[in-house]
Amino acid sequence: MAWFGRRRRAQEEDPDIDILPVMNMFMVLIPFLLMSASFFHIQAINTSVPVHADTPAKVQAQKEKPKITVVFEIKQDELRLSALTDTPNDLALSDMEAVIPMSAGSEIFVAELVEHLKKLKARYPTSDTMILIPDDEVSYREIIRAMDCARADESEKLFPNVVLSGSLG
Amino acid sequence: MALGRRRKSIKKFMPPKLMLTSMMDMFTIILIFLLFSFSENPETLKLDKDLELPRSSTETGYDKAVKIVLSKNELRLDDEKIYEVHNRKIAELSIADLQSSTLFQRLKSRRNEHKAAPDDEAPQQGPHILFLCDQSYAFKTINSVIKTAGMAGYPNFQFAVLQEK
Repeated sequence: MAWFGRRRRAQEEDPDIDILPVMNMFMVLIPFLLMSASFFHIQAINTSVPVHADTPAKVQAQKEKPKITVVFEIKQDELRLSALTDTPNDLALSDMEAVIPMSAGSEIFVAELVEHLKKLKARYPTSDTMILIPDDEVSYREIIRAMDCARADESEKLFPNVVLSGSLG
Repeated sequence: MALGRRRKSIKKFMPPKLMLTSMMDMFTIILIFLLFSFSENPETLKLDKDLELPRSSTETGYDKAVKIVLSKNELRLDDEKIYEVHNRKIAELSIADLQSSTLFQRLKSRRNEHKAAPDDEAPQQGPHILFLCDQSYAFKTINSVIKTAGMAGYPNFQFAVLQEK
């Protein structure tokens, strides 16, 4: 009986695992990772402002495919889309004008806007530039949303080069 | 005899066993969390408390650049405070006369310094500005800042945004 009891006691004893080296490794890793951790992910949107050029713009006489520059105006009560081109007398451009009504203070209708931009991109696939002209009171958040719409759909890039300009009027 | 009994009653000192299992669990969780939030970009930006960046779907990273921060209370060029902001307006930055503004002078001198000693680490598109702006500002205020920068020789910008979840 005594032999039986001793055997059971030996079985119940936990084997001691030496976890000190693991702890040491953790103590080194955690401060290192804390130093290089970023708790918010900051990204960037590339844009530019129109500037006075000293040299005349290059005009290509013979282009394989015509290019347009989309003009997107954000007004208090509507969004206006139109297009500019180097090609004179391009009557097709007048078809591309669009006005999306917007009630005051409401957010931009993303789906409708992307739909129009997709149509423009389908007709002029080599075009990649958009001039964004917001009204004075349009918020920065809305401008970024408009840039998001202009830059890319999930499947394809629409007009990734956005030039931000004040209204001329 | 009595002394012998006393000696017997004093127990041999045993070092206390630490229960490290729960501590290990905690460390493992912290380690996994930190591994997920590990940043590859060694130059991390510090965000002010009064600066709320807009969210965007862009996945482009930012580059090393001159930094303009337009928070709710002030406008800073890198770490230098240039203007105080009241009611989301910069009184000293008049759109009619941007070239005499302090911001223009500071940016112009930066541009001249850069021309004299170009930075090898600068990206290919040339000198540009990393613009961190609070999402509540109206375009009128933003326009005066970016126009000033454009006139001072910085027409290209990177608008800093928070990545959409």
